[in-house]
Amino acid sequence: MAVWALARQGADRFPSRLRPRRLYILPTRAGLGFAALVLGMLLAALNYGNGMALALAGLLAGVALVAMHQCHRNLLDLEITAAEASPAFAGGRGVVSLVLTNDSGIARLGLQIDGTGPWSDAARGRTRGARGSPDAEDAARPGVADLAASSSARIDFAVPARRRGVLRIERLRLSTSHPFGFFRAWTWVHAPLAIIVYPRPRGDRPPPLHHGERQSSPGVAGGGAQDEWRGLRGFRDGDSPRQVAWKAYARGAPLLVKEYAASAAEQRLFDFGRLAGLGTEARLEQLARWVVDADARGERYGLVLPGFSLAPDRGPEHRRRALTALALHGIEAP
Amino acid sequence: MARAPLRPLVWTAAAFLAGVLLHAGRVPLWTLLAACACAAWSVAGNAGRGPLPGRTVRVAMALALFAAVVAMFRTLNGPDAGTALLAAMGAVKLLEARARRDQYVVIGAALFLLLAATLDEQGLPFLPLYVAHAWLCCAALAAVARPDRAPHAAAAGVGGERSGGSGKLWAASDAAAAKLAARNLLFALPLAVLVFLFFPRLSGSLWALPDPAHAATGLSDTLTPGSISELVESTAPAFRVWFDGAPPPPAERYWRGPVLHEFDGKTWSRPPAWGFGAQRSIQPLGRAYRYRITLEPTATRWWLALDTISSPPRNASVGLTADHVLVGARPLTGPVSYEAISYAPARDDAPLSARLRALDTRSPHGRNPRTLALARRLRAAARDDADFVSAALDLLRTGGFRYTLRPPRLGSDAVDDLLFRTRQGFCGHYASAFAMLMRAGGVPARVVTGYLGGEWNPIGGYLLVRRSDAHAWVEVWLEGRGWTRVDPTAVVAPERLTRGILEILPGAASTSERLILEVRWLASIRQAWDTADAWWTTAVIDFDLKSQLALLGSIGVHDAGLGLLITALALALAAWLVATAWRHGRPPRAARSDPLARAYARLCRKLARAGAPREPHQGPLAYLESIARARPALAPSVRPLLEDYAALRFGPAGALQARRIADFKRAVARWRA
Repeated sequence: MAVWALARQGADRFPSRLRPRRLYILPTRAGLGFAALVLGMLLAALNYGNGMALALAGLLAGVALVAMHQCHRNLLDLEITAAEASPAFAGGRGVVSLVLTNDSGIARLGLQIDGTGPWSDAARGRTRGARGSPDAEDAARPGVADLAASSSARIDFAVPARRRGVLRIERLRLSTSHPFGFFRAWTWVHAPLAIIVYPRPRGDRPPPLHHGERQSSPGVAGGGAQDEWRGLRGFRDGDSPRQVAWKAYARGAPLLVKEYAASAAEQRLFDFGRLAGLGTEARLEQLARWVVDADARGERYGLVLPGFSLAPDRGPEHRRRALTALALHGIEAP
Repeated sequence: MARAPLRPLVWTAAAFLAGVLLHAGRVPLWTLLAACACAAWSVAGNAGRGPLPGRTVRVAMALALFAAVVAMFRTLNGPDAGTALLAAMGAVKLLEARARRDQYVVIGAALFLLLAATLDEQGLPFLPLYVAHAWLCCAALAAVARPDRAPHAAAAGVGGERSGGSGKLWAASDAAAAKLAARNLLFALPLAVLVFLFFPRLSGSLWALPDPAHAATGLSDTLTPGSISELVESTAPAFRVWFDGAPPPPAERYWRGPVLHEFDGKTWSRPPAWGFGAQRSIQPLGRAYRYRITLEPTATRWWLALDTISSPPRNASVGLTADHVLVGARPLTGPVSYEAISYAPARDDAPLSARLRALDTRSPHGRNPRTLALARRLRAAARDDADFVSAALDLLRTGGFRYTLRPPRLGSDAVDDLLFRTRQGFCGHYASAFAMLMRAGGVPARVVTGYLGGEWNPIGGYLLVRRSDAHAWVEVWLEGRGWTRVDPTAVVAPERLTRGILEILPGAASTSERLILEVRWLASIRQAWDTADAWWTTAVIDFDLKSQLALLGSIGVHDAGLGLLITALALALAAWLVATAWRHGRPPRAARSDPLARAYARLCRKLARAGAPREPHQGPLAYLESIARARPALAPSVRPLLEDYAALRFGPAGALQARRIADFKRAVARWRA
C-alpha cells in the first residue's frame, strides 16, 4: 500500500500541501462496530414499527457520516512545511518532526504521526493491542498534537535508536481519527529522513592529554571560569546563544560570539588508533564518552579516526561533527 | 494495573448512567443502584482513590447480577428483562473500561439503552430527554476518541501569529467535545427526519414481539364495585376526537367500551366468546356524527366509539360485535387512529333472542336477598317495564345516595350493602346495583363501560377524553323500544353528565392537577401542550406506511407504492449526502477578520500584475528591495505602502491602529502601477 502510494504521489518536497489525491480514509474497528449498532437499531425500529427508534438510527448514522467528512477534512489542505530528524545516542530515542501549517479557519485536532522503519519490524513481533505497550522502552511513540486555526506546530515522533549508524525513516504516516474514532484518514509522507545515531557514550579509560605538561584527571572540571578571553568572532550556525555577545548586539553590532581559549593543557586529541585492546565499536563508544565529557566541560578537543580527522575546537557544531563522524565510521554516508 | 485517563472514563460513565436513568421507572431499583455504584467505583479507582476490582471479582459480580436478573424476571426475553440485563452488564463492564475499546463498548450499551427507551415510551415529553442523552453519548464518543497524549511527545508551537493554542485546546477538550457533539447532531438531524419520513415501514414484524409487560391502563373487561377504588384517577389522555362539524352536546358524549353481561353477585364480566353478530339494527334517534378518533395505547383490545356506532371503521383490523363493541385484532401497543360514524342518541330494536334474554336476566342465586325482594316489590307496583325503570331511578334519586370516589368497602352481598347500608359510590356502583335490580325484576339489563364527557380543546379543535372520564352505565331491553340507555349515575349526581369527575369532586385530583384544572391561564397552557401532544401522537408516533404514501400523495406523487417510496428515500439520502459533503468536505478558509492581510494581499496581486510578484519567502521589506532592483520605476510609489504595512503588521499596535489600517486599505485601493 505504502509502496503503491509512493509510486503514485512521488517523494515529498516541502512545503507540501495535502491534496485529496494523497489522502486515504477507512473506517476503524470502532467505526464498523458503530455501523453494526446502527444497523441493529434500524432492524429493531422496523420490527417494532417505531418511528422514534428509526429516527434515532438515522440520527446516529448521520452523525457518523458527518464525522467521516470531518475526519477527512481534518488533514485536507494542511501544509507540511518541513520535516526534520534530530540525532540520538544509541539506546536512546531519535526524534522525527514534521512542521505543519494550518492556514484554514478551523482547528485541526488529534493529529498523529507514526511511521515505519527498522523498529516497526521488531514491534510487529510483539503482542498487539495492549495499550500499555507504547511505554515499553524500545517501542516508537507516536506524536500527537492539535493545531489551532491559522497556526503552525511541530509534531515529534520518537523512534527507538538501537544501533549506531543511520536510522532511515522509510515513511511517515500523518493520520487522524478525529472526531469520534470511527474513521482514520491518513497520508504517507516520503521524505529522505535519516536519524544519525551516535555511539552510546561508554567506557572508562581516562582521556588522553595532548601537549600536556599538567596532569589532569577526568574528574576535575575545567570550567569556563578559568578560560582566557580570546576575542570575538562572527556568529556561526550552531553557536550557543549563551556565548553570543548580546551587549554588543544591543549596541548595534552584528551577532558576535565571545571566544575563550582553554589553556593548552586542556586541549586534547582523541585518537581512534591509540585505544589499543578494544574492538571498533567499543573504541567508538569510548571516543563518544570523551567527546561528550569534554564538550560538557567546555574543553577544546580534536578527533582522529582512520581516514578522518577533526582539528581541535569546541562548541555544539564541533560536537555534532565529531559525534557524526563517530556514528558514520565505517558506514556509507547518508 | 494501569489507570485509565480520567476524562474519557467520566464521560463514558455519565453517558451510561444517564442511559440507565432513562429506564428509572422500569428497571428494578437494585439495577439502578448497581450501575451507580459501579460508575462511582470505576471513576474513584481510576482517580487513584482506592483499588479497582480484579478479574475474579468482576466475573463474580457479572454472574451475580445475571442471576439476579434471571431470578427477578424468570426470563431474558422481553424489553424489561433485556434492559435490566444490559444495565447490569454495562455497569460491570464500566469497572474494566480502561482501554478505549471497552469505553466504546459501554457507550454502545448506553445507546442501546436509549433505543430501548424509545421503543418503550414515545411520548412528546420524553423527546428532550432522548435528544439530551444522544448528545451525551456523542460527546462521550468524542472525548474517548481523543488520542492519548504521551507527556514527552509534546507538540511545540513554532511561530504562527495565533499559535500556542495547542495546550489550551487540550484543556478545553471537554467543552470542545460537548460542542462537537451538539453540532454533529444538528447536522445529522435532517437525515433523521428523512429516514423517519421515507424509510419504508413494515406492515408486520420481522420477529414476534413480546407482549407488553405493563399493566393495562385502559378499560378492563370486568367491573367489581366495592373492592378497591376502581376508578382511574389519572388525567392522562385516553383518546382524542376530531369531529366533522359540531361535537355532540355534553349529555350525549357517551363513549362505548366493553359491555358486561355476566354477574356473580359482586363482579360483572364479559363472556369470553362473544360473536361478531350480524343482527345489528340501529335506529337513529338523533343526528349522525362523523369523527376521527386517536386512541392512546391501552394494551387491551377495546376500541372506543361514540354511542352508538353504525358500522366498524374501514381499513382497520377491528370488528363490531352484536352489542356494538369494537374489538381489535391485537392488543393496542401503540396509538391508533380511525374514522367512524355514530348516531347519538340511537337505539337497537333488534328482537332479543331467548338465549340472550336468559343471559341478561340471570342473577346469582342466594346473593343480595334484600335487593331481590326490593326488585320484586317495585316490579309488582309498576304498570310495565318502563314504569319499573322509573321507579328504580326514583329510588336512587330520593334514597339519600351520595356520589363519591372513596366509597366504603362492600361485603359479599355488595348490592345489598350499597343500597341499604353505605349508600355511597360512583358510577360503577350505581350501574351494577341498577342492572341487578332490573334483572331481579325480570328486565334484561347489561352494564356498559366506557367514558363519559370530554374536554373541548379550542386550540386543537378536538375533544380530549381523559382516563378519569371513565364511566359505567346500564342498558335495559324494553318491549317495543329495544335496548335503551339508562344512566343511574345521572340520577344520583346529575352534574356528572356535563362536567368531569375532577370538576365535581375536587378532592379526587392531586393539588397540582387541581390547580392546573382551575387556573384559567394554566388551563390554556395545558390545552396548548395537549394540542402539541395530540399532534405528536397522530403525526409522529402513529406515522406508518399508509401515512408515508399519503405524504407522497400530498407532494404530488399519486398512487405511490413501495417502489416510489424507496425512490424518494434514495433521492432524499443523495440530497443529504451532497449537502453534507458540500458543507463538511473542505476546511473553511481562515476567518476574514483581518482587513490588513486582505489589503496586503490585494496590493501583492496588483504588484504581481505589474510584473513584480512576491516570492513566498519574502517579507514586506525584502519584497521592497527586490522591487527596487527588478522594477525601480515602481519603488517610489510602493515604498510608503510596504513600509506602512511592515509597521502595522509588526510594529506595536497604537491606539489608532484601526484607523491606520483603514488608511492603508484606501491607499492600496488608490495605488496604480
